[in-house]
Amino acid sequence: MTLIYIAFGLLGGQSLLALLAPAAYRYLPLGLGGSGLLLALAGLPAWLGQSSALPLDATAGFYLALLGALYLGVGFYLRDYLAHHPGPRARLETLLLPLFAGSMAGVVLAPLGYSFLFLWEGMALLGYLLIALEGPAALAGSRAFFLASRVSGAGLFLALLLLIQGGPREGLVHLVWAGLVLGFGTKAALFPLHAWLPKAHPVAMSPLSALLSGGMVKLGLYGLYRALDWAGPAPAWVGWLLLGLGLAGAVYALVLGLAENDYKGVLAYSSVENLNLLLAALGGYFLLQHPFFLLAFFFHQAAHALFKGLLFLGSGALKERGLSALGGLFPKLPQTAAYSLLAAAVGAGLPPLAGFLGEWYLYQGFLSVPKGGVVSLLALGVGVLALVGALAAALYVRLLGLAFLGLPRSSQALEVHEVGLYGQVGLGLLALGLVGLSLFPGALLAPLNPPLYPVALLALGLLGLGGGLVYLLQRKPWRSYTPWDCGYNQPGQPGSALSPRMQPNALGYSEQLLRLFPFVEVKIEASREGLLHPPTLRWQGGDWWGTLEALFARGYLFLARQAQRLQSGSLHLYLLLQFLALLFVLGVSWQ
Amino acid sequence: MTALLFLLIAPLFTGSLKWLKARLQNRLGPDPLYDYRNLYKLWHKAWIRPSPSSPIFVWAPVMALLGAFLAALFLPLLPGFSFAGDFLVLAYLLNLGRFFQVLAALDTGSAFGGQGSYRESLVAVLAEPGTLLALGAAALASSQLSLAGLAPLSAENLLVYTLALVALALALVAEGARMPVDDPTTHLELTMIHEAQLLDHSGPLLALYELAAGLKMLVYLGLIALLMPLGAWSFPLVLLLGWLALGYLETYGVKLRYLRLPDLMSYSTLSGVLAVLGVVLRFRI
Repeated sequence: MTLIYIAFGLLGGQSLLALLAPAAYRYLPLGLGGSGLLLALAGLPAWLGQSSALPLDATAGFYLALLGALYLGVGFYLRDYLAHHPGPRARLETLLLPLFAGSMAGVVLAPLGYSFLFLWEGMALLGYLLIALEGPAALAGSRAFFLASRVSGAGLFLALLLLIQGGPREGLVHLVWAGLVLGFGTKAALFPLHAWLPKAHPVAMSPLSALLSGGMVKLGLYGLYRALDWAGPAPAWVGWLLLGLGLAGAVYALVLGLAENDYKGVLAYSSVENLNLLLAALGGYFLLQHPFFLLAFFFHQAAHALFKGLLFLGSGALKERGLSALGGLFPKLPQTAAYSLLAAAVGAGLPPLAGFLGEWYLYQGFLSVPKGGVVSLLALGVGVLALVGALAAALYVRLLGLAFLGLPRSSQALEVHEVGLYGQVGLGLLALGLVGLSLFPGALLAPLNPPLYPVALLALGLLGLGGGLVYLLQRKPWRSYTPWDCGYNQPGQPGSALSPRMQPNALGYSEQLLRLFPFVEVKIEASREGLLHPPTLRWQGGDWWGTLEALFARGYLFLARQAQRLQSGSLHLYLLLQFLALLFVLGVSWQ
Repeated sequence: MTALLFLLIAPLFTGSLKWLKARLQNRLGPDPLYDYRNLYKLWHKAWIRPSPSSPIFVWAPVMALLGAFLAALFLPLLPGFSFAGDFLVLAYLLNLGRFFQVLAALDTGSAFGGQGSYRESLVAVLAEPGTLLALGAAALASSQLSLAGLAPLSAENLLVYTLALVALALALVAEGARMPVDDPTTHLELTMIHEAQLLDHSGPLLALYELAAGLKMLVYLGLIALLMPLGAWSFPLVLLLGWLALGYLETYGVKLRYLRLPDLMSYSTLSGVLAVLGVVLRFRI
């Protein structure tokens, strides 16, 4: 616990320093990164020893370690990142970020009670303020974040107040769990309550997106898992709900991610996908109590926190974020590209990396269902997981391929530069954590006594044989040449007949994939700009959720107009209403 | 062990397939051993690197080959590794190879590479669920999760295995880039899927890719053989049948329009789903 006190002291000191000194962000590697290291050092032993001493029991230890690892990387990165922000804004962010980080760590340590609610709401409010600091461009995103945290708060207040009032009574269990699923599920982007996440996370500054996607949303999962201690075993419908919505949401989020043009938007949709898979794993655990689901739940969270943190931090180097305008960044940003490739390979679930192991456990969980009965239908989850795996691979190939490979699609694309030394250290720390987690998953999962496949052997085989072959290839004679352009290039002319616009753009890449799924519309509009120009095709991705939202909004407005009639200004109506209200109250109290 | 065997016979399989097709089409055709010589020739050539490319361009063929090679390591046709959940590792190792291949296709900055890349992604999305559902159903029917413990085809599991075999056979055609899905002999870049991605890879890089493609087909044939009841004779028989079927299909069949692929591959997913349902709800014939 001493380590945790020091960590909180460091965070508080960092905030205080921001009040006193203008350039306090320079100390963020110590203030935020250092406290992250301490939190991780305090959390890991509690997790590995499966301690049950509150407040730092095994679960809290796991989440503290996860948050700590993230703070460590982000703390270093922030020092470089905030140096480009105007002075007052950087100061404000340095004030708020440690408080945000502290409230997240506090949520994990808080017991069931008002302190939990206070820290939870504080976390949501600070997150909102930090997003809102981005200015008018972030208005829609920060509002969505705020509204979602209100929805989440509503569910939590309902559930936690009932729980604090002396535990769930018979009959109220369902209400309590409904509140918990609404409260924590909204935070964890449970489909279809996920809509806020792809709006809010891309507009935040990159290190904050890393904290939100890597850390904060995991606390929703933490809450649902912790609720087993607070409210007892979940009723079966909670398990089915989480499983069904989780699996559907994972596919849905990936498809929308494939339609997304914004680099960070794609990452946000991938977060929704991973969170929904995790919720499905948790739902499976609620239903079957099988250890495979628990292994998938914990391990994939750790992997997702690190790889999504790394990808979001990497996106901080990009000025232009539209995939259709990017391309060819690899030579300009070799380090960022290498880190992003590592993180994307983890995200696409490739063995022997960490992202695959979580899916591997989840597959085995689905395949270990008892035969016969409704619960055996869970085995069909294998197909959904396979679809998710293939779609995730396509999503990450599209993201990396369009942004980093090929030719630049616009002149703005190349206005990038690598982050400075501190930023590199931050990225490197997260990448190191990811590689460690991939190669030695047993070290983290030891307390759960997991089955493993020969990870290290596979990694050794791939790198050893692969490195050897690449070495042989590099030693062979080779020369650089323009890509094959069907021979259109004339011998006398330099360069290639290919133009960068002939490469697939963001929607062109995924159009055929999107057509497979009925909930996304792709529209093609051919427009002719003069006779000599070829027609340009435009794509538009729409989805039914937007239509549903619009329908809901129209219905709401209709009701609002009806309610407005009451406010006609007629004194008689008001008096009548008051009289009726009085009668109602008297009638209720009479009973 | 299986992996090494596959590495040795993969060129024979693809080479003799070309010979068989030529004979079926009343052509003389290349020597069945031609692919060995072709690989030897390609390996000793210089290679060309497109100017916009990154190191991924060189790593991709290597990873494609290693993905298929390491996947074959888990096939228990000859004694090798075996553990619960090995078929998942096998399927995802093939994914690893494809991930790099599809990524490298975008690396050249050419239009064809991009087309090949997203077409292959689509084929993967269509084929993957069927494959894993079929393997999962077979594993469930055998009540354990390793390939070595798969119970062979019997009256007990006839329905489930037949459905699984349909799914796997369609996956073989899709993942191996063979006829109704892709035409390996096309000369037209516009209709290519697999070849469009390799367009800028030459010499030894192309050799690695071709070897990887052959290996991948053998891995799928190996998976099919594991479900067969003939013991040690399963694999040679499946190999022969697959060889004849592919030759026949590519002589008398036509390539499906790319946009019609979902129709074909939906049979794979459907068979997979039915196989799993059959095993968990205990359907019998």
